[in-house]
Amino acid sequence: MKYKISSLLTAPILLIFVFVFLLWLADANIFESIVAFFKGAFGGRNFAYLLVTVSRAALITGMALAALIAFRAGLFNIGGEGQLVIGGLASAFVAISLPFGGAVGILLVILSGMTAAALWAVVSGAMKLWLGVPILVGSLLLNYPARYIASYFVNHPLRDVSSGMSQTHLIEKSLWLPLLPTTRLDIGFIFILLMFGLVLFYCYRTVGGYKAKMTGLSIDFANASGLQTKKITLKTLALSGSIAGLVGAIAVLGLHHRFTDGMLVQPLYAWTGIVAALMVSLIPWAILPAGFFFAAIHSGASGMERTADVPKEIAIIIQGLIILFVASKVPTAFEQDTGENK
Amino acid sequence: MAVFGSHFTGSAMWGTLSAVCGGVFMAILFAEFHLRRPGDPIVVSIAINLIALGLSTYLLRAIFKVSGVFQSHNIDKISLVNIPLLEKIPFLGPFISGQSLLFYISLVLVIFAHFFFKFHQLGLWFRAAGENKLALEASGVNSKKIQFLALILCGVLCGLGGAQLSISNVGLFVENMSAGRGWIAVVIVLVTAGRALPLLGLVFLFGSVDSVALRIQGLGLPQQFTEMMPYLASLIALIFVCYRKLKFETNTQGKRNV
Amino acid sequence: MKAELHEVSVKFGPFCAVNNVSLSFLPGEIHALVGENGAGKSTAMSVLFGLNNDYEGKILINDTHKNWCSPADAISAGIGMVHQHFMLQETMSVLENVILCSEPLSKFGFVNFNLATINVQSLISKYDLKIDLTQKISHLSVGQRQAVEILKLLYRNSQLLILDEPTAVLTPSEKHALFLTLSNFKLSQKSIILITHKIDEVMMIADRVSVMRDGKLISSKLLQHTSKDAIQENIIGGKLPKPIKRKKHNPRNIGLELQRIVIPGIATRNEPVSLQVRLGEIVGIAGVSGNGQAPLVEAIIGLRNTISGNIILNDRYITGKEVWERRQLGLTYVPEDRQRVGLALDASVCENACISQIDNQEFSNGFILKLGNIGRFTKKLINNFDIRVESASAKVRTMSGGNKQKLVVARELNQKKPVVIVENPTWGVDIGAINKIHKELIVMRDAGHAILLVSNELEEIMGLSDHIHVMSDGQLSKPLKSAEVTVKKLGDLMLTQNENHPSQKSRN
Repeated sequence: MKYKISSLLTAPILLIFVFVFLLWLADANIFESIVAFFKGAFGGRNFAYLLVTVSRAALITGMALAALIAFRAGLFNIGGEGQLVIGGLASAFVAISLPFGGAVGILLVILSGMTAAALWAVVSGAMKLWLGVPILVGSLLLNYPARYIASYFVNHPLRDVSSGMSQTHLIEKSLWLPLLPTTRLDIGFIFILLMFGLVLFYCYRTVGGYKAKMTGLSIDFANASGLQTKKITLKTLALSGSIAGLVGAIAVLGLHHRFTDGMLVQPLYAWTGIVAALMVSLIPWAILPAGFFFAAIHSGASGMERTADVPKEIAIIIQGLIILFVASKVPTAFEQDTGENK
Repeated sequence: MAVFGSHFTGSAMWGTLSAVCGGVFMAILFAEFHLRRPGDPIVVSIAINLIALGLSTYLLRAIFKVSGVFQSHNIDKISLVNIPLLEKIPFLGPFISGQSLLFYISLVLVIFAHFFFKFHQLGLWFRAAGENKLALEASGVNSKKIQFLALILCGVLCGLGGAQLSISNVGLFVENMSAGRGWIAVVIVLVTAGRALPLLGLVFLFGSVDSVALRIQGLGLPQQFTEMMPYLASLIALIFVCYRKLKFETNTQGKRNV
Repeated sequence: MKAELHEVSVKFGPFCAVNNVSLSFLPGEIHALVGENGAGKSTAMSVLFGLNNDYEGKILINDTHKNWCSPADAISAGIGMVHQHFMLQETMSVLENVILCSEPLSKFGFVNFNLATINVQSLISKYDLKIDLTQKISHLSVGQRQAVEILKLLYRNSQLLILDEPTAVLTPSEKHALFLTLSNFKLSQKSIILITHKIDEVMMIADRVSVMRDGKLISSKLLQHTSKDAIQENIIGGKLPKPIKRKKHNPRNIGLELQRIVIPGIATRNEPVSLQVRLGEIVGIAGVSGNGQAPLVEAIIGLRNTISGNIILNDRYITGKEVWERRQLGLTYVPEDRQRVGLALDASVCENACISQIDNQEFSNGFILKLGNIGRFTKKLINNFDIRVESASAKVRTMSGGNKQKLVVARELNQKKPVVIVENPTWGVDIGAINKIHKELIVMRDAGHAILLVSNELEEIMGLSDHIHVMSDGQLSKPLKSAEVTVKKLGDLMLTQNENHPSQKSRN
């Protein structure tokens, strides 16, 4: 593929232009904001902000992995948000009601989050297989019930009324994910790294990953060659959902220590994960840098908000623009032409 | 956009116009990245949704220094119109009279759309571009131009919808206030296969589910469940349509595996 | 109208698809353009029709030099094209399709449908076509759709008609109707270009024949100045290949049997279908595409449900079983559509080669892939079948049509399953690959496998099969011994059955 230099340069220049224009709108000092951006993303005392970025990157990468697994199999599961919320809610619920803590407790909480999210994801698969609802629309529409169900639980049965907010009680300290020594970073990102390794292995080396890939490339081919595509569909969605559930559990156990209404929806983890996966055109290993990149943008924007008084939503705008430019360069998995004169 | 326009100019008409401009701007963005460059429509639309969400919140905070809800005395709401004759229609009368001007415009637009797609040259071309682009191009029409035109119209209509939502209903702007209504509209179009008149019926159905939900809330059902209802309703409608199609295909073609 | 291509060349990268071709098309003449797949016929025509504007050379219309920017220019100059894959709007009516993009308008850009109906109706009666204007395209048979395409050209007052493989999907009777229409056009001094690879049709209707090979024009002569054999040798660029030697027909047990199965969607009427294929023989199913062959094959493979009846594979009932179960019980399948069903184009050769055996001990331990074994196995296939590809890890998309097909055939035949279903194995494949594939099928037969061959090419069916059925409108004829069969007899069978049931066919 050949790009002209000029077209390569337009995107960054335009991005910078929009960036500066937005800063000007907010009456912010441009130089100060940019410094704040980089400090917010990578700096801080003892690199505190870098650690925040890492922890955010873990969540985004996790959601990107969830999207990747499903997309690769041709299942356009954009219901990651719903699965994430259900996973988070289930793990918060189990964490609150669990009578014991420790490693076993943590594992149990995570597993329950993963299971719940997997089940939620499988619903859209079942709707596809037995009711004919396209995964894309079905999984999208399931986001909203998930959001409202979670909202109901934290407002009514599970609400910590004394806190005055829509959130559950704080979970037992013994169930919190331990922190890395001398830092405030919890070990959640290690789980994600592990999961990343597993997904790589799954994609390149296992029969399941191979079959899912073939199904994604051409479902007719897979059917005619005797792959059990129904089973593959459900299995893949369950896998995808369980990763989303893991992310939800980590967010609850490590980051927030409780479930607050909207805490998983508002930061757009799921959507950012989806676009991160698409941006690297579903190349598994590239997920990690992509996740980190988007996390850095968000952390940087938070930094700007703290010091330069620039609303942090600037991150969402910039992120959207980046996706636009990248999407128009990289043909994604959604496009499938057959070549040859047919 | 409508809120900004209405706030700054103090006029509902200019507010609506600026809403339309905003919609068209987003449509042009979509066209640039999907039609002129080979961006995938789904990715591009997700990105544009993100930008719209981010931009509205950002501008709100950057310019008015408020977050969440924006309200101002300057905002001029679109006035309600009382059409004397309509009021007298038995049963329906009280419902359809005394609505905002945009309501009547949209009603007329639906009926116009019906005839437009059936009998107008451009309507025919729109349908052709949607169904078989190559065939349209083989007849010598640039389908990209047609699609661009359709997108611009789409932007105009979306802008009108936004105006109705903000400066007609309530006269304020809430972050993410559209709350997925765009997606519901997409589902409705899918379900009705793009036919204008059934679409009108379904839209009314969804509208009533929405408002019935609001009433039920008064009866003590948790707010979350009532807010969920429009989404559940569209899911059910979707299941209904898809299942019928699936049944039809298995019966007539014996298709296995999807 | 007289149209000329003057020293036209088209290059796709380093590859020269059309190489210095000059052709002239005269009014009142049917000009057949023949050649193998990839010989450059369609590319040359896309230049004339304005679809391809990146060429060297000149287009002359009535001796004046023209430059098309898009098909729109060519259309307004009076050139019309019926593409091999019809360019129709499925959900629109015939009338809407015909007038699309040249609508008569009344006020405010609304379409004057009354005037349109009158205009189109007068064309229909002038050329004696049989079309109902109010029907939706999705309800029409292939032949009727083609008539709509032709009507589109007439409505635009085309003087030069390009027809790309128009008979590929027609029954013999529909073909006759088409040829009658074309003769009518000839009388009204239109010029007609017929792109085809069927020589019999050329002999039947053409006035002038031009042969292309490897992008070059080999010959362009009046029909009476050439002969069938000369044309054929020009197409191939050498002598015809020798017929393949085979053992004497020695059938054994029944490998595959269909007992009165009823298949949904096979045609307008759901007649039961019965069939027997014995080990050690090739049974051919002849017929025009779209007469129910595809649903029949899908039902045998397990991609389509049956309503009633039994399918028996090696003495085991497989009705209702899934594809993978059937494959395990001894069945392989070479699908017609290698692009979509036969291969995953964006996967590597390795990944495509082992798809249906991936659960075997050789390729995986049930969880982890044995990549080394897969690579060795793929290289073996590539060598044995003479597949030309960069490497075993190259994407299948980069291969030529013939090599893609060889890969599919190699993968399926290599499994050595007792029953082999083969569907149009040589569609769009060069002569070399055709020979290779035919040879392998004969080898399989001689080794005692049961082979069911479904093909639209009569010569292929007659050359390979021991028994032949004719399929038409979802019905299967009695088996005929191939030694006693003539082209005429098969053609008549397609024809008579069709005349008995003049109903619509569609294949979706």
